[in-house]
Amino acid sequence: MSKDFEQQLRDALRPVDPEEGFEQRVMARVAREPAGLRSKIKRWTATLAIAASLAFVAILGAYQWQERREQQGLEARRQLLEALRVTGEKLDVAYQAVNRESPPPTDDGSGA
Amino acid sequence: MKASEAWSPDELLTRASAGESAAFAALVRRYQRTVYSIALRMLSDRQRAEDLAQEVFLQLYRSMDSIDSDSHLAFWLRKVAVNRAIDRIRQEARHDSEPLTEAAAVVGEVGDADPLLQRRMAELVSQLTPAARAVVVLRYQEDLDPVDIASTLDMPINTVKSHLKRSLTILRARVLGAAIVDDVQPSMSERSP
Repeated sequence: MSKDFEQQLRDALRPVDPEEGFEQRVMARVAREPAGLRSKIKRWTATLAIAASLAFVAILGAYQWQERREQQGLEARRQLLEALRVTGEKLDVAYQAVNRESPPPTDDGSGA
Repeated sequence: MKASEAWSPDELLTRASAGESAAFAALVRRYQRTVYSIALRMLSDRQRAEDLAQEVFLQLYRSMDSIDSDSHLAFWLRKVAVNRAIDRIRQEARHDSEPLTEAAAVVGEVGDADPLLQRRMAELVSQLTPAARAVVVLRYQEDLDPVDIASTLDMPINTVKSHLKRSLTILRARVLGAAIVDDVQPSMSERSP
């Protein structure tokens, strides 16, 4: 009985076709969608992706440029220190040479 | 034979997702019966069912990118059709509009079954609460098992089973004209949670 009843229910609820031309009516509404809504969304997505890529490249470029500048600054500092060190050494050498070539003045008249 | 009829379900889906109108029209042809029947059983009115079914396909058109397979498409269409129908019933209830029942008893073509009995059963189904009606329609019209119904309606499986059991009891009692009609009436008018 229960099975019969469920079968009767299935029969009563058998799917029904919509009125003739349903597909055309749906497609007409689809055609009235705001001009290419889906393609607009896709275009916007593509534009955003390109903008994000460009921003990423720009940020990366700026970071690398900054990094290079820092390296150049450090290198310049190193070179300056090296130059100062070399100059200091040379001055020391020159000073010692000058000191060697001209001995300190002797007291030559007072005791004669 | 249209070219679109030779396409496999997956090819149809891929082409429709790419914006090919012929492919989308083929999808409409393929699923119009399912969507329209759910709408009709839920709303009990041909015109409102047609309108709702059209809206479901429009929503599908806008959401094609989110559909990943043919089985997902069938699941998506049933879910959206039922949910939209329930929303509409609730909106109309808030606005106190009188539900139309002229098409409540629309039945499909069946060989030698008793048309009067079928008409009566379809009419009684249309009097169930929206949630119970959705469960019965998905079970006996769409032939889904309780697990699939639970997932379509985002409903616990035990709630689905209890809706089914209760609805069958109510329908059987009314069809057989049992003496419990008076007990059944309040249940049929109860609101879904």
